[in-house]
Amino acid sequence: MSRDLLSDPVVELAGLDNYVALVSDPDFWESIGFTLKFAIIATSIQLVLGFALALVFDRNVPGKKYLFSAVLIPIMIAPSLMAVMYRLLLNESIGVVPAFFGLFGLQVSLFSPDAIFSLLIVLDCIQFVPFTFLLFYSSLQNVPDELYEAASIDGSSYFETIRRIVIPILKPAIVVVVLLRFLEGIRNFDVIYILTGGGPGTSTQTVGIFIYKTAFAQGNFGMAAAASVVLVLLLAPFTPWVIKRLSTSEQQ
Amino acid sequence: MNSSKKSWLAFAVILVIAFLLNLPLIGALFNALRTDNAIASGALVWEFDSGFSHFQNAMGAAGYDFPSFFVNSVLISLGTVSLVTLVSLPAAYAVVRLGFGGPWILRLAVGLRVIPAIFFLVPFYIMFSFAGLIDTVWVLILVNGFTNTTLALLIFSNALAELPIDMEEAASVDGASVFQRLRLIVIPLLGPAMVAVGVLTFLFTWSDYLFAVILTSSEATPVTVGAANFVTSYGVRWGDISAAVVLSVLPPLLFAVFAQRFLVKGLAAGAVKG
Repeated sequence: MSRDLLSDPVVELAGLDNYVALVSDPDFWESIGFTLKFAIIATSIQLVLGFALALVFDRNVPGKKYLFSAVLIPIMIAPSLMAVMYRLLLNESIGVVPAFFGLFGLQVSLFSPDAIFSLLIVLDCIQFVPFTFLLFYSSLQNVPDELYEAASIDGSSYFETIRRIVIPILKPAIVVVVLLRFLEGIRNFDVIYILTGGGPGTSTQTVGIFIYKTAFAQGNFGMAAAASVVLVLLLAPFTPWVIKRLSTSEQQ
Repeated sequence: MNSSKKSWLAFAVILVIAFLLNLPLIGALFNALRTDNAIASGALVWEFDSGFSHFQNAMGAAGYDFPSFFVNSVLISLGTVSLVTLVSLPAAYAVVRLGFGGPWILRLAVGLRVIPAIFFLVPFYIMFSFAGLIDTVWVLILVNGFTNTTLALLIFSNALAELPIDMEEAASVDGASVFQRLRLIVIPLLGPAMVAVGVLTFLFTWSDYLFAVILTSSEATPVTVGAANFVTSYGVRWGDISAAVVLSVLPPLLFAVFAQRFLVKGLAAGAVKG
Protein backbone atom coordinates (compact mmCIF):
# COMPACT_ATOMS: atom_id res chain seq x y z
CA MET A 1 0.00 0.00 0.00
CA SER A 2 1.19 3.48 -0.69
CA ARG A 3 -0.28 6.95 -0.51
CA ASP A 4 -1.77 6.35 -3.98
CA LEU A 5 -4.43 4.24 -2.39
CA LEU A 6 -6.23 7.46 -1.56
CA SER A 7 -6.82 8.27 -5.21
CA ASP A 8 -7.01 4.69 -6.42
CA PRO A 9 -8.61 2.57 -3.74
CA VAL A 10 -8.21 -0.96 -5.05
CA VAL A 11 -8.32 -3.61 -2.37
CA GLU A 12 -5.58 -6.11 -2.95
CA LEU A 13 -4.75 -8.51 -0.15
CA ALA A 14 -1.10 -8.43 0.83
CA GLY A 15 -1.16 -11.47 3.11
CA LEU A 16 1.69 -11.17 5.58
CA ASP A 17 3.95 -9.21 3.22
CA ASN A 18 3.84 -6.08 5.37
CA TYR A 19 4.70 -8.04 8.50
CA VAL A 20 7.57 -9.80 6.73
CA ALA A 21 8.92 -6.45 5.53
CA LEU A 22 8.51 -5.06 9.05
CA VAL A 23 10.36 -7.79 10.96
CA SER A 24 13.23 -7.70 8.48
CA ASP A 25 13.61 -3.93 8.94
CA PRO A 26 16.43 -3.31 11.46
CA ASP A 27 15.09 0.23 12.11
CA PHE A 28 11.93 -1.29 13.54
CA TRP A 29 13.82 -3.46 16.03
CA GLU A 30 16.07 -0.55 16.93
CA SER A 31 12.97 1.57 17.66
CA ILE A 32 11.48 -1.21 19.83
CA GLY A 33 14.76 -1.44 21.75
CA PHE A 34 15.00 2.32 22.23
CA THR A 35 11.36 2.60 23.29
CA LEU A 36 11.67 -0.17 25.91
CA LYS A 37 14.95 1.20 27.27
CA PHE A 38 13.49 4.72 27.46
CA ALA A 39 10.25 3.57 29.12
CA ILE A 40 12.00 1.35 31.69
CA ILE A 41 14.64 3.91 32.72
CA ALA A 42 12.21 6.86 32.77
CA THR A 43 9.67 4.86 34.80
CA SER A 44 12.25 3.76 37.38
CA ILE A 45 13.61 7.27 37.93
CA GLN A 46 10.14 8.85 38.08
CA LEU A 47 9.02 6.18 40.54
CA VAL A 48 11.84 6.98 42.96
CA LEU A 49 11.76 10.78 42.57
CA GLY A 50 7.96 11.03 42.76
CA PHE A 51 7.95 8.90 45.92
CA ALA A 52 10.74 10.93 47.52
CA LEU A 53 8.98 14.21 46.71
CA ALA A 54 5.71 12.88 48.16
CA LEU A 55 7.53 11.99 51.41
CA VAL A 56 9.05 15.49 51.63
CA PHE A 57 5.60 16.99 51.02
CA ASP A 58 3.96 14.80 53.64
CA ARG A 59 5.15 17.03 56.49
CA ASN A 60 4.00 20.26 57.98
CA VAL A 61 5.33 22.39 55.11
CA PRO A 62 4.58 26.13 55.24
CA GLY A 63 2.65 27.34 52.19
CA LYS A 64 1.89 23.74 51.21
CA LYS A 65 -1.21 24.63 49.18
CA TYR A 66 0.71 26.94 46.86
CA LEU A 67 3.74 24.69 46.53
CA PHE A 68 1.42 21.78 45.69
CA SER A 69 -0.19 23.79 42.86
CA ALA A 70 3.21 24.93 41.60
CA VAL A 71 4.58 21.37 41.46
CA LEU A 72 1.53 20.18 39.50
CA ILE A 73 1.81 22.85 36.75
CA PRO A 74 3.90 20.72 34.34
CA ILE A 75 1.11 18.08 34.23
CA MET A 76 -1.27 20.67 32.76
CA ILE A 77 1.06 21.65 29.92
CA ALA A 78 0.72 19.89 26.57
CA PRO A 79 3.85 17.75 25.97
CA SER A 80 4.30 19.32 22.53
CA LEU A 81 4.23 22.84 24.02
CA MET A 82 6.63 21.64 26.71
CA ALA A 83 8.91 20.45 23.89
CA VAL A 84 8.84 23.90 22.28
CA MET A 85 9.76 25.44 25.65
CA TYR A 86 12.60 22.91 26.04
CA ARG A 87 13.92 24.01 22.67
CA LEU A 88 13.91 27.63 23.83
CA LEU A 89 15.48 26.68 27.16
CA LEU A 90 18.26 24.60 25.59
CA ASN A 91 18.90 26.80 22.56
CA GLU A 92 22.58 27.66 22.21
CA SER A 93 22.04 31.38 21.56
CA ILE A 94 19.14 32.25 23.87
CA GLY A 95 18.73 29.24 26.16
CA VAL A 96 19.05 29.74 29.90
CA VAL A 97 20.56 26.29 30.46
CA PRO A 98 23.59 26.58 28.11
CA ALA A 99 24.09 30.14 29.42
CA PHE A 100 24.07 28.83 33.00
CA PHE A 101 26.72 26.22 32.17
CA GLY A 102 28.59 28.96 30.30
CA LEU A 103 28.90 30.95 33.54
CA PHE A 104 31.18 28.19 34.81
CA GLY A 105 33.07 28.08 31.52
CA LEU A 106 31.44 24.80 30.54
CA GLN A 107 30.65 24.13 26.92
CA VAL A 108 27.96 21.47 26.78
CA SER A 109 26.36 20.15 23.65
CA LEU A 110 23.17 18.66 25.03
CA PHE A 111 21.98 17.28 21.70
CA SER A 112 25.18 15.34 20.97
CA PRO A 113 24.78 11.57 20.48
CA ASP A 114 26.39 10.92 23.89
CA ALA A 115 24.14 13.26 25.85
CA ILE A 116 20.83 13.01 24.03
CA PHE A 117 19.47 9.96 25.87
CA SER A 118 20.12 11.42 29.33
CA LEU A 119 18.70 14.75 28.19
CA LEU A 120 15.45 13.14 27.01
CA ILE A 121 15.15 11.24 30.31
CA VAL A 122 15.65 14.44 32.34
CA LEU A 123 13.07 16.29 30.24
CA ASP A 124 10.58 13.42 30.62
CA CYS A 125 11.10 13.61 34.39
CA ILE A 126 10.33 17.35 34.44
CA GLN A 127 6.89 16.63 33.07
CA PHE A 128 6.07 13.32 34.77
CA VAL A 129 7.67 13.37 38.22
CA PRO A 130 4.79 15.73 39.17
CA PHE A 131 2.40 13.00 38.03
CA THR A 132 4.04 10.16 39.97
CA PHE A 133 4.32 12.53 42.93
CA LEU A 134 0.58 13.24 42.75
CA LEU A 135 -0.35 9.55 42.76
CA PHE A 136 1.96 8.79 45.70
CA TYR A 137 0.94 11.86 47.66
CA SER A 138 -2.78 11.02 47.33
CA SER A 139 -2.11 7.50 48.60
CA LEU A 140 0.05 8.75 51.48
CA GLN A 141 -2.99 10.61 52.78
CA ASN A 142 -4.52 7.19 53.48
CA VAL A 143 -1.71 6.24 55.88
CA PRO A 144 -3.06 7.04 59.37
CA ASP A 145 -0.86 9.26 61.57
CA GLU A 146 -1.20 6.74 64.40
CA LEU A 147 0.94 4.28 62.45
CA TYR A 148 3.85 6.71 62.37
CA GLU A 149 3.38 7.53 66.05
CA ALA A 150 3.22 3.87 67.04
CA ALA A 151 6.32 3.11 64.99
CA SER A 152 8.29 5.98 66.50
CA ILE A 153 7.27 5.01 70.04
CA ASP A 154 8.54 1.51 69.30
CA GLY A 155 11.89 3.08 68.41
CA SER A 156 11.66 2.72 64.65
CA SER A 157 13.82 5.19 62.73
CA TYR A 158 12.34 7.30 59.94
CA PHE A 159 13.78 5.18 57.16
CA GLU A 160 12.78 1.96 58.88
CA THR A 161 9.22 3.28 59.14
CA ILE A 162 9.22 4.13 55.45
CA ARG A 163 10.62 0.75 54.47
CA ARG A 164 8.58 -1.46 56.75
CA ILE A 165 5.28 0.41 57.00
CA VAL A 166 4.79 3.05 54.31
CA ILE A 167 6.08 1.15 51.27
CA PRO A 168 3.99 -1.99 51.98
CA ILE A 169 0.88 0.18 52.40
CA LEU A 170 1.62 2.05 49.17
CA LYS A 171 2.21 -1.12 47.17
CA PRO A 172 -0.99 -0.73 45.10
CA ALA A 173 -0.03 2.86 44.26
CA ILE A 174 3.46 1.72 43.25
CA VAL A 175 1.97 -0.86 40.87
CA VAL A 176 -0.34 1.77 39.32
CA VAL A 177 2.53 4.25 38.89
CA VAL A 178 4.78 1.67 37.24
CA LEU A 179 1.99 0.49 34.97
CA LEU A 180 0.82 3.95 33.88
CA ARG A 181 4.25 5.44 33.41
CA PHE A 182 5.57 2.40 31.55
CA LEU A 183 2.61 2.33 29.16
CA GLU A 184 2.86 6.11 28.66
CA GLY A 185 6.61 5.86 28.18
CA ILE A 186 6.06 3.34 25.37
CA ARG A 187 3.68 5.79 23.68
CA ASN A 188 6.09 8.70 23.85
CA PHE A 189 5.96 10.67 20.62
CA ASP A 190 5.41 14.43 20.92
CA VAL A 191 8.45 15.58 22.90
CA ILE A 192 11.05 13.36 21.26
CA TYR A 193 9.66 14.00 17.78
CA ILE A 194 9.72 17.78 18.21
CA LEU A 195 13.15 17.82 19.87
CA THR A 196 15.11 15.32 17.79
CA GLY A 197 12.79 13.98 15.07
CA GLY A 198 14.16 10.56 16.08
CA GLY A 199 17.77 11.58 15.49
CA PRO A 200 20.71 11.87 15.46
CA GLY A 201 20.29 9.21 12.76
CA THR A 202 17.63 6.90 14.11
CA SER A 203 19.11 6.73 17.62
CA THR A 204 16.12 8.25 19.45
CA GLN A 205 13.39 6.84 17.23
CA THR A 206 10.49 5.58 19.33
CA VAL A 207 8.05 3.05 17.87
CA GLY A 208 5.61 5.95 17.53
CA ILE A 209 8.07 7.99 15.47
CA PHE A 210 8.87 4.89 13.39
CA ILE A 211 5.17 4.38 12.62
CA TYR A 212 4.65 8.07 11.84
CA LYS A 213 7.66 8.29 9.52
CA THR A 214 6.91 5.01 7.78
CA ALA A 215 3.38 6.17 7.00
CA PHE A 216 3.80 9.87 6.36
CA ALA A 217 7.41 10.33 5.24
CA GLN A 218 7.81 7.10 3.24
CA GLY A 219 4.13 6.68 2.32
CA ASN A 220 4.28 3.02 3.37
CA PHE A 221 0.89 2.78 5.10
CA GLY A 222 0.88 -1.01 5.03
CA MET A 223 4.07 -1.39 7.00
CA ALA A 224 3.07 1.41 9.39
CA ALA A 225 -0.23 -0.38 10.09
CA ALA A 226 1.65 -3.64 10.64
CA ALA A 227 3.95 -1.89 13.12
CA SER A 228 0.89 -0.45 14.92
CA VAL A 229 -0.55 -3.94 15.28
CA VAL A 230 2.75 -5.31 16.62
CA LEU A 231 2.88 -2.43 19.13
CA VAL A 232 -0.61 -3.23 20.40
CA LEU A 233 0.27 -6.95 20.62
CA LEU A 234 3.30 -6.01 22.74
CA LEU A 235 1.08 -3.98 25.07
CA ALA A 236 -1.78 -6.52 25.11
CA PRO A 237 -0.32 -8.68 27.94
CA PHE A 238 -0.65 -5.68 30.27
CA THR A 239 -4.39 -5.32 29.62
CA PRO A 240 -5.79 -7.64 32.35
CA TRP A 241 -3.43 -6.01 34.84
CA VAL A 242 -4.58 -2.53 33.84
CA ILE A 243 -8.23 -3.57 34.06
CA LYS A 244 -7.74 -5.02 37.53
CA ARG A 245 -5.74 -2.12 38.94
CA LEU A 246 -7.51 0.77 37.28
CA SER A 247 -11.10 -0.28 37.59
CA THR A 248 -10.59 -0.61 41.35
CA SER A 249 -8.57 2.58 41.83
CA GLU A 250 -10.98 4.67 39.77
CA GLN A 251 -13.81 3.52 41.99
CA GLN A 252 -12.20 4.87 45.14
CA MET B 1 2.69 12.48 58.57
CA ASN B 2 1.88 15.89 60.03
CA SER B 3 4.04 16.75 63.00
CA SER B 4 3.04 20.10 64.44
CA LYS B 5 6.49 21.67 63.91
CA LYS B 6 6.76 23.56 60.62
CA SER B 7 9.44 22.09 58.42
CA TRP B 8 11.30 24.95 56.73
CA LEU B 9 13.87 22.52 55.35
CA ALA B 10 11.14 20.68 53.44
CA PHE B 11 9.84 24.09 52.31
CA ALA B 12 13.25 25.04 50.88
CA VAL B 13 13.72 21.67 49.14
CA ILE B 14 10.26 21.79 47.56
CA LEU B 15 10.71 25.41 46.50
CA VAL B 16 13.90 24.51 44.60
CA ILE B 17 12.21 21.47 43.01
CA ALA B 18 9.15 23.52 42.03
CA PHE B 19 11.48 26.08 40.43
CA LEU B 20 13.33 23.42 38.43
CA LEU B 21 10.11 21.71 37.32
CA ASN B 22 8.74 25.02 36.10
CA LEU B 23 12.00 26.23 34.55
CA PRO B 24 10.72 25.69 30.97
CA LEU B 25 7.68 27.88 31.64
CA ILE B 26 9.72 30.45 33.58
CA GLY B 27 12.24 30.57 30.73
CA ALA B 28 9.48 31.13 28.17
CA LEU B 29 7.93 33.89 30.31
CA PHE B 30 11.38 35.47 30.77
CA ASN B 31 11.92 35.65 27.00
CA ALA B 32 8.37 36.80 26.30
CA LEU B 33 8.69 39.70 28.73
CA ARG B 34 12.13 41.06 27.77
CA THR B 35 13.02 43.27 24.83
CA ASP B 36 14.50 42.02 21.57
CA ASN B 37 17.64 43.95 22.48
CA ALA B 38 18.04 41.98 25.66
CA ILE B 39 17.38 38.70 23.84
CA ALA B 40 20.02 39.57 21.25
CA SER B 41 22.55 40.54 23.95
CA GLY B 42 22.54 37.26 25.85
CA ALA B 43 20.50 34.50 27.39
CA LEU B 44 20.54 35.99 30.86
CA VAL B 45 20.23 39.72 30.04
CA TRP B 46 17.09 41.32 31.47
CA GLU B 47 15.38 44.42 30.11
CA PHE B 48 11.63 44.65 30.69
CA ASP B 49 9.55 45.09 27.55
CA SER B 50 6.97 47.53 28.92
CA GLY B 51 5.02 47.53 25.62
CA PHE B 52 4.49 43.73 25.81
CA SER B 53 5.36 43.74 22.09
CA HIS B 54 5.93 39.98 21.93
CA PHE B 55 2.46 39.30 23.25
CA GLN B 56 0.98 41.83 20.86
CA ASN B 57 2.86 40.24 17.95
CA ALA B 58 1.70 36.77 18.96
CA MET B 59 -1.89 37.99 19.21
CA GLY B 60 -1.91 39.23 15.63
CA ALA B 61 0.12 42.44 15.36
CA ALA B 62 2.90 40.69 13.39
CA GLY B 63 0.56 38.84 11.06
CA TYR B 64 1.24 35.30 12.33
CA ASP B 65 -1.55 32.73 12.09
CA PHE B 66 -1.33 32.16 15.81
CA PRO B 67 -4.70 33.78 16.72
CA SER B 68 -6.54 31.40 14.38
CA PHE B 69 -4.62 28.41 15.84
CA PHE B 70 -5.78 29.53 19.26
CA VAL B 71 -9.41 29.80 18.13
CA ASN B 72 -9.13 26.33 16.56
CA SER B 73 -7.83 24.86 19.83
CA VAL B 74 -10.70 26.45 21.76
CA LEU B 75 -13.30 25.17 19.26
CA ILE B 76 -11.79 21.67 19.14
CA SER B 77 -11.51 21.39 22.93
CA LEU B 78 -14.98 22.73 23.73
CA GLY B 79 -16.51 20.70 20.88
CA THR B 80 -14.85 17.54 22.20
CA VAL B 81 -16.03 18.21 25.75
CA SER B 82 -19.63 18.58 24.45
CA LEU B 83 -19.44 15.47 22.26
CA VAL B 84 -17.87 13.32 24.98
CA THR B 85 -20.47 14.42 27.56
CA LEU B 86 -23.38 13.90 25.15
CA VAL B 87 -22.23 10.37 24.30
CA SER B 88 -20.85 9.05 27.55
CA LEU B 89 -23.38 10.38 30.07
CA PRO B 90 -26.39 8.57 28.53
CA ALA B 91 -24.13 5.58 27.85
CA ALA B 92 -23.10 5.39 31.50
CA TYR B 93 -26.76 5.68 32.50
CA ALA B 94 -27.66 2.81 30.21
CA VAL B 95 -24.86 0.65 31.63
CA VAL B 96 -25.37 1.41 35.32
CA ARG B 97 -29.14 1.89 35.58
CA LEU B 98 -30.74 0.20 32.59
CA GLY B 99 -28.64 -2.94 32.71
CA PHE B 100 -27.06 -2.48 29.30
CA GLY B 101 -23.98 -4.68 29.01
CA GLY B 102 -23.05 -4.74 32.67
CA PRO B 103 -19.64 -4.49 34.32
CA TRP B 104 -17.80 -6.23 31.48
CA ILE B 105 -18.47 -3.29 29.19
CA LEU B 106 -16.71 -1.00 31.68
CA ARG B 107 -13.79 -3.42 31.94
CA LEU B 108 -13.65 -3.39 28.15
CA ALA B 109 -13.51 0.40 28.25
CA VAL B 110 -10.56 0.31 30.69
CA GLY B 111 -8.87 -2.32 28.55
CA LEU B 112 -9.25 -0.21 25.41
CA ARG B 113 -7.25 2.52 27.09
CA VAL B 114 -4.13 0.35 26.77
CA ILE B 115 -4.20 0.92 22.99
CA PRO B 116 -1.97 3.90 22.21
CA ALA B 117 -3.33 6.74 20.08
CA ILE B 118 -0.64 6.05 17.48
CA PHE B 119 -2.42 2.76 16.64
CA PHE B 120 -5.26 4.77 15.11
CA LEU B 121 -2.99 7.04 13.06
CA VAL B 122 -3.07 5.16 9.75
CA PRO B 123 -6.74 4.06 9.79
CA PHE B 124 -7.94 7.53 10.85
CA TYR B 125 -5.90 9.22 8.15
CA ILE B 126 -7.28 6.93 5.45
CA MET B 127 -10.85 7.02 6.77
CA PHE B 128 -11.04 10.77 7.08
CA SER B 129 -9.29 11.37 3.77
CA PHE B 130 -12.06 9.40 2.07
CA ALA B 131 -14.67 11.24 4.12
CA GLY B 132 -13.20 14.57 2.98
CA LEU B 133 -12.90 15.78 6.56
CA ILE B 134 -9.14 16.36 6.65
CA ASP B 135 -8.13 19.80 7.94
CA THR B 136 -11.45 20.59 9.59
CA VAL B 137 -12.19 21.28 13.23
CA TRP B 138 -14.83 18.51 13.03
CA VAL B 139 -12.33 15.74 12.41
CA LEU B 140 -10.31 16.65 15.51
CA ILE B 141 -13.50 16.81 17.60
CA LEU B 142 -14.40 13.32 16.35
CA VAL B 143 -11.01 11.69 16.99
CA ASN B 144 -10.47 13.35 20.36
CA GLY B 145 -14.03 12.45 21.28
CA PHE B 146 -13.20 8.87 20.33
CA THR B 147 -10.10 8.65 22.54
CA ASN B 148 -11.66 10.44 25.53
CA THR B 149 -15.05 8.71 25.66
CA THR B 150 -13.81 5.61 27.51
CA LEU B 151 -12.44 7.68 30.39
CA ALA B 152 -15.63 9.77 30.59
CA LEU B 153 -17.74 6.60 30.57
CA LEU B 154 -15.78 5.29 33.57
CA ILE B 155 -16.03 8.55 35.53
CA PHE B 156 -19.79 8.87 34.89
CA SER B 157 -20.42 5.20 35.69
CA ASN B 158 -18.59 5.44 39.00
CA ALA B 159 -20.47 8.62 39.91
CA LEU B 160 -23.83 7.11 38.92
CA ALA B 161 -23.19 3.94 40.90
CA GLU B 162 -22.73 6.10 44.00
CA LEU B 163 -26.06 7.95 43.56
CA PRO B 164 -28.96 6.51 45.58
CA ILE B 165 -31.53 5.03 43.23
CA ASP B 166 -34.59 5.91 45.41
CA MET B 167 -35.39 9.25 43.81
CA GLU B 168 -35.32 7.81 40.32
CA GLU B 169 -37.58 4.96 41.42
CA ALA B 170 -40.03 7.44 42.97
CA ALA B 171 -40.01 9.51 39.77
CA SER B 172 -40.52 6.36 37.73
CA VAL B 173 -43.55 5.43 39.84
CA ASP B 174 -44.91 8.94 39.19
CA GLY B 175 -44.62 8.24 35.47
CA ALA B 176 -41.37 9.99 34.53
CA SER B 177 -39.75 8.59 31.39
CA VAL B 178 -36.10 7.52 31.21
CA PHE B 179 -35.12 10.82 29.62
CA GLN B 180 -37.07 12.86 32.16
CA ARG B 181 -35.34 11.00 35.01
CA LEU B 182 -31.98 11.57 33.37
CA ARG B 183 -32.62 15.26 32.74
CA LEU B 184 -34.44 16.26 35.93
CA ILE B 185 -32.87 14.03 38.57
CA VAL B 186 -29.59 12.49 37.48
CA ILE B 187 -27.87 15.31 35.60
CA PRO B 188 -28.31 17.91 38.38
CA LEU B 189 -26.71 15.45 40.82
CA LEU B 190 -23.78 14.63 38.53
CA GLY B 191 -22.30 18.16 38.66
CA PRO B 192 -18.91 17.15 40.11
CA ALA B 193 -18.53 14.26 37.65
CA MET B 194 -19.41 16.56 34.75
CA VAL B 195 -16.78 19.06 35.87
CA ALA B 196 -14.20 16.25 36.17
CA VAL B 197 -15.01 14.92 32.70
CA GLY B 198 -15.05 18.43 31.25
CA VAL B 199 -11.73 19.47 32.75
CA LEU B 200 -9.88 16.24 31.91
CA THR B 201 -11.29 16.06 28.37
CA PHE B 202 -10.42 19.71 27.80
CA LEU B 203 -6.87 19.15 29.07
CA PHE B 204 -6.25 16.01 26.99
CA THR B 205 -7.80 17.50 23.84
CA TRP B 206 -5.91 20.76 24.18
CA SER B 207 -2.73 18.67 24.53
CA ASP B 208 -3.31 16.59 21.40
CA TYR B 209 -0.45 16.86 18.95
CA LEU B 210 -0.35 13.48 17.21
CA PHE B 211 -3.80 13.57 15.57
CA ALA B 212 -3.54 17.27 14.78
CA VAL B 213 -0.21 16.85 13.02
CA ILE B 214 -1.59 14.29 10.53
CA LEU B 215 -5.21 15.45 10.23
CA THR B 216 -4.68 19.19 9.77
CA SER B 217 -2.57 21.22 7.34
CA SER B 218 -3.56 24.88 7.74
CA GLU B 219 -7.26 25.63 8.30
CA ALA B 220 -7.82 23.62 11.48
CA THR B 221 -4.31 23.68 12.98
CA PRO B 222 -4.40 23.93 16.80
CA VAL B 223 -1.79 25.68 19.00
CA THR B 224 0.22 22.52 19.70
CA VAL B 225 1.09 21.97 16.05
CA GLY B 226 1.18 25.71 15.36
CA ALA B 227 3.74 26.35 18.11
CA ALA B 228 5.93 23.43 17.04
CA ASN B 229 5.91 24.68 13.44
CA PHE B 230 6.48 28.24 14.64
CA VAL B 231 9.72 27.29 16.36
CA THR B 232 11.09 25.78 13.14
CA SER B 233 9.82 28.36 10.62
CA TYR B 234 10.40 31.62 12.53
CA GLY B 235 13.57 30.35 14.19
CA VAL B 236 14.93 33.67 15.39
CA ARG B 237 11.76 35.40 16.58
CA TRP B 238 12.43 34.01 20.06
CA GLY B 239 10.39 36.60 21.95
CA ASP B 240 7.32 36.12 19.79
CA ILE B 241 7.57 32.32 19.94
CA SER B 242 7.89 32.47 23.72
CA ALA B 243 4.85 34.73 24.03
CA ALA B 244 2.82 32.41 21.74
CA VAL B 245 3.77 29.38 23.84
CA VAL B 246 2.95 31.14 27.11
CA LEU B 247 -0.48 32.09 25.72
CA SER B 248 -0.97 28.49 24.51
CA VAL B 249 -0.42 26.92 27.92
CA LEU B 250 -2.68 29.42 29.70
CA PRO B 251 -6.20 27.95 29.14
CA PRO B 252 -5.47 24.52 30.70
CA LEU B 253 -3.57 26.25 33.51
CA LEU B 254 -6.55 28.51 34.25
CA PHE B 255 -8.76 25.44 34.35
CA ALA B 256 -6.30 23.86 36.71
CA VAL B 257 -6.52 26.85 39.04
CA PHE B 258 -10.34 26.91 39.12
CA ALA B 259 -10.92 23.17 39.11
CA GLN B 260 -7.78 21.82 40.75
CA ARG B 261 -9.81 19.64 43.13
CA PHE B 262 -11.48 17.81 40.23
CA LEU B 263 -8.35 17.58 38.15
CA VAL B 264 -6.29 16.25 41.02
CA LYS B 265 -8.93 13.71 41.93
CA GLY B 266 -9.25 12.51 38.35
CA LEU B 267 -5.52 12.36 37.70
CA ALA B 268 -4.86 10.68 41.03
CA ALA B 269 -7.42 8.03 40.09
CA GLY B 270 -5.24 7.16 37.13
CA ALA B 271 -6.74 9.21 34.34
CA VAL B 272 -4.23 9.37 31.51
CA LYS B 273 -4.34 10.42 27.91
CA GLY B 274 -5.11 7.64 25.47
